[in-house]
Amino acid sequence: MEAPNITRLIYRNIKVNTDPGTLTILIGLPAMYLVFFGFGFASLESRSGGGASYLSFLTPGLMAFQAVMAGTVGGGMLWADRRWGMLAQLLVGPFTRLQYLLGIMLTSVTFGLAGSLVMLGIAYVLLGALPVTLIGLGAMLAIITVGSLFFGSLMLLIAAKVKSNTTYNSIQILVLFLVNFASTVFYPYSSGLPAAIRVLFAVNPLTYIADVARAAYFGTYTVTVGYEALVLCVEAVIVLFLAVRAYLRSDVSMD
Amino acid sequence: MVDPVVQAVDLRHSYDGKRSALDGVSFTVRKGEVFGLLGKNGAGKSTLIKAMTTLIRPSSGTLRIFGMDPTKEGKKIRARIGVVQQGESFDFTTVEGNFDVYGVLWGIPRGERQRRREALIQRFGLEDIRRQRSFDISGGQKRRVQVAREFIHDMDILFLDEPTVGMDVIMRRTLLDSIREEVKGGLTVVFTTHNLEEADYVCDRIAVIDEGKLLVLDEVENLKRLYGGKKTIDLTVDIGSAARFIPALTQGLGPGTSVTTEGDSVVILTDDPKDSLAKILELSQKMGVQLEWISVRKNTLEDVFLRSVSHGGEPLGSA
Repeated sequence: MEAPNITRLIYRNIKVNTDPGTLTILIGLPAMYLVFFGFGFASLESRSGGGASYLSFLTPGLMAFQAVMAGTVGGGMLWADRRWGMLAQLLVGPFTRLQYLLGIMLTSVTFGLAGSLVMLGIAYVLLGALPVTLIGLGAMLAIITVGSLFFGSLMLLIAAKVKSNTTYNSIQILVLFLVNFASTVFYPYSSGLPAAIRVLFAVNPLTYIADVARAAYFGTYTVTVGYEALVLCVEAVIVLFLAVRAYLRSDVSMD
Repeated sequence: MVDPVVQAVDLRHSYDGKRSALDGVSFTVRKGEVFGLLGKNGAGKSTLIKAMTTLIRPSSGTLRIFGMDPTKEGKKIRARIGVVQQGESFDFTTVEGNFDVYGVLWGIPRGERQRRREALIQRFGLEDIRRQRSFDISGGQKRRVQVAREFIHDMDILFLDEPTVGMDVIMRRTLLDSIREEVKGGLTVVFTTHNLEEADYVCDRIAVIDEGKLLVLDEVENLKRLYGGKKTIDLTVDIGSAARFIPALTQGLGPGTSVTTEGDSVVILTDDPKDSLAKILELSQKMGVQLEWISVRKNTLEDVFLRSVSHGGEPLGSA
């Protein structure tokens, strides 16, 4: 029986994006954050005599961070397919433009979910026991899916507009840096932060993903977390709409 | 009457609304033929291919592929065509990985995919590079992989946009022979090229395009006959005599011939090479001019192409 078009596109996207280099960046980088930050900051934590271990705090944060990595995969795929001629080649094949886009989005989500489960696995090895319940894990994966769609759309939007490799990479690094470090992935939100950084925290979708994921991980749901999930869903829909529009209007090649 | 698989009527396209990339092009492509598109860089060949392969929507005119409208039934059309685009297109994997992934995309079952991959690797001489990453191989090898990969799926029309660029002579011939072989099995091929020899070798009919306009369209042999006489005589005289001999020759050959000169070389297009040769020899003897080189050959497609482009498609007849 012939596989549906979307399945074939996802197979292709995963196959060509699972080379050792890409996997090292996708999984290795957050894994290193988990190990080095987790153990490195543990010394500060033991001096301050804090509650939950930093490694435990970091685990849901880095699972949320996989949504951003998923976004870079999505944007990177569109950019590379345009650069290396595969977008035009696929679009003269038995696919529609929307199927191609859906293929990329679903691949991004797949990478986001797989990466977050790898982070959870590493945390389990390092911590021995995890506080998350099955329902909590389901909620974490759901918010990571929405987050992957958000960041996938955002990076697609950039990839659809930018033609230069250098520009694309520079924007991607800037977005990654800003989004990661102005979020609650690595440290909790604090009213003691400078006002400008507090604003960045507040508007950063990764903060919402990390907060919701952390609440689900520890089972500490609040109304604020519920609002954060809702805002993220709305933002994801808006960015997805903008990305689809930009993609449908973009050139299929760099010619 | 052979079924047309492509019908274009008064196709026009402009990318920027100012300059016409296609300017009222009309033609048909018949089932099972190799249809050549010839033209200079920027003549409109690739735009035409993009329109026929549903990548762009023509600004106006009517286009039908298998009787279907590409703007409405693009997906159905694309399921029946193969396209080798002018630019490179690769996935970040090995050469054989590219075949596999492409086969999956086209829904070819695993066993059949492997069988076809092996046959194509063999036919296109890719055995030595099959495990190399596609970005590590040379430009000519990449082109070979790109063309070979397209044959992994079934199709009714194959669009080849300058497929032999960067290929060596042997591979070029292998590809052209493969095309001929596939055509025998009912495949229709639309082929753009700059290389007139290969167009001559493989095409049944040829359209010459310039500045978005279709200048001529006919069978290769008809074009050769129509656009320059039946034979070409190449002639070189000693340099000291060229200035007085060539004008006399031009006058002496009379109707049915066309003479072009470059320095001491003369190219004569003629309906009656026997008569022209006799006149050349007679005149050279009479004027005491030594002929350095003289040869008679069939007209090439290059003669047709240069003449049709330089004369805006106006037939030269035999004059």
